[in-house]
Amino acid sequence: MSNSQYSIPLVYNAVEIMTPFLLAAIGGLFTELSGMLNIALEGLILAGAFFSVVFAAATGSLLLGILLGILCAMLLSALFGAITIYLRANVFITGLATNLFASGFTIVLAYQIFKTKGVIQFPNIPKLPVLSVPAFLQRIPFVGDVLFGHNVIVYITWLIVVVAAVVIYRTPFGMHLRGTGMNEQTIVSLGLSPRRYQLSGILISGFTCGLAGSMLTIQLAAFVPEISAGRGWIALVAIYLGNRTPLGIFIASFVFGLAESFSNYAQGAIKLPVDFILAFPYVVTVAAMILYAIWRHARSGK
Amino acid sequence: MKEKRSFGDFLSSFTGLAITLLLSFGLVVVLMLILSKTPGKTIYAFFIGPFTNAYYLGNMLNVAVPLVFTGLGMAVAFKSSVFNLGGEGQTYAGGLATTIVCLALPATNGILGGLLALIAAMVCGGAIAGLSGYFKMKWNADEMISSFLLSSAVILIVNYFITGPLDDPNNNMLASLPLGGQYGLLQIFRPSKLNVSALFAIAMAVIVFFFMNRSHIGYEMRMCGLNREFSRYGGINVRLYLVLPMILSGALHGIGGGLMVLGTYHVLYEGFSFGMGWNGIAVALIAKNNPLGVLPAALLFAYLDAGAKAAMLNGDVTFEIASIAQSFIFYFVTAQALYGIARKRRRAA
Repeated sequence: MSNSQYSIPLVYNAVEIMTPFLLAAIGGLFTELSGMLNIALEGLILAGAFFSVVFAAATGSLLLGILLGILCAMLLSALFGAITIYLRANVFITGLATNLFASGFTIVLAYQIFKTKGVIQFPNIPKLPVLSVPAFLQRIPFVGDVLFGHNVIVYITWLIVVVAAVVIYRTPFGMHLRGTGMNEQTIVSLGLSPRRYQLSGILISGFTCGLAGSMLTIQLAAFVPEISAGRGWIALVAIYLGNRTPLGIFIASFVFGLAESFSNYAQGAIKLPVDFILAFPYVVTVAAMILYAIWRHARSGK
Repeated sequence: MKEKRSFGDFLSSFTGLAITLLLSFGLVVVLMLILSKTPGKTIYAFFIGPFTNAYYLGNMLNVAVPLVFTGLGMAVAFKSSVFNLGGEGQTYAGGLATTIVCLALPATNGILGGLLALIAAMVCGGAIAGLSGYFKMKWNADEMISSFLLSSAVILIVNYFITGPLDDPNNNMLASLPLGGQYGLLQIFRPSKLNVSALFAIAMAVIVFFFMNRSHIGYEMRMCGLNREFSRYGGINVRLYLVLPMILSGALHGIGGGLMVLGTYHVLYEGFSFGMGWNGIAVALIAKNNPLGVLPAALLFAYLDAGAKAAMLNGDVTFEIASIAQSFIFYFVTAQALYGIARKRRRAA
């Protein structure tokens, strides 16, 4: 019994923590499949985080705040995409530019509006609603405890993952998107524009990163500079670790969420320097990545 | 004929760069007109400030030094088609290695001690990056991802050393114990912090240039960068060139971090090198991965940094305006279409 006493909060928190990674990674998957490296996820999350909480506070509406936050992240992704695709710039460096721009712009704007470069609190914004489920579902042992009782964004994210899988594998749009990534010429020969699919892939990543960012700040009811804190990079890792499939990304995000959840728990319970515990999720992810590579290597050897 | 064409290419890429810079600086001016209450003063401080006295000028040049090393590190990796995304951690770890060696050595010979400290920084950075290269060679694990993750973990571990075993109880900031005075590098432009490491940076750029373009190993590295499969058929040991560029890249980052500690800070501050790794990527790409091009590219970044500092001190904008200015340059610097405009104009003329 004491076992579940620890494991339930551990997994429950992991489900919460993985959500921003999962969202950013699922959006980034569309960019990745269209043949573009998306290292701008980090900056897009940051933009979504800043603007959604600021707009939520300004309008007093959570929904409006989140939607406007997503819109701002999409505008930034449109800038990133337009310069990369239409001005034919190096996607790597425009991605870095987007991260730098988001990081500088949010701080400069925060300084202009709120006269501080530190944490900005918004105590008056409404709380994220929790999804209510029938009591019999809640009573399922373990599963009921860890899967239910989260805020709505967690469930919207799961829905997005399912929709993403259907779109990628079962719709003409998804086929053409993947085709663009595999061989642009095929798409051209079909009379379609590869650029349009690449731009769509980037805009979709802007959408999901915006939502990921809004979850970070609205849950806290505050904006912290650099609140994205490497989540965009971890999302990129999840795309690769997840073998560029929605299910794989879901599993990779969960592994990282679990590692971080454990590291949060360990800070109070284990006598180890905090920095080592904070480094734990990265070490676990590297280890998972290497083990996966060894397994794949061994399999391809046969 | 050939020379003429390459001169033409040079001209058009120069014009393209000029367009990029004008566009980026124009956007910075627009931004300041919007943000600043005294835009004239702020804009003047941003663009001219770094040149108004010896202190600003020397510090600007000094900021360029680590960027030369991280830029060279990235250029070596990119030329070999290997991606090192762990520059941040490798530079930071280089600083740690330098500090540990200097603190551990008996205070006798500053030059020998400094040299040992830099070797430690080089080995440390090279080992961290080399690990990712090894994983790539051995099991085909993506070096871009693994170097980033390792670097993220390394940054936290360095933080642990700064706040833990090396912590200076007499310093309010998060910093290690101070290095002995005998390790300080020679100041060459007082009162600024500019020191002999600037000369090392220039020398290193020349060495890397000759290594990449004139040596056998450099040649094979570039061949692997152009086409790994083709190089394999050509009898080049391609597996070696997954690891070696990473080691060299990490070693250059490590030295950059070590020199910052020895030359500028004389103590290991938490986060002292943050941004050097990322900016190194941009420096390398602006320089088109040419080691000699890294020098002016690093100066450009140092100028933006110095301009933003001057604008913050003499104007009314925050320092983060520098990130925005850098991002404008990042956005446009590789935009082929802008270079295309330059090329067309030249043809029309």
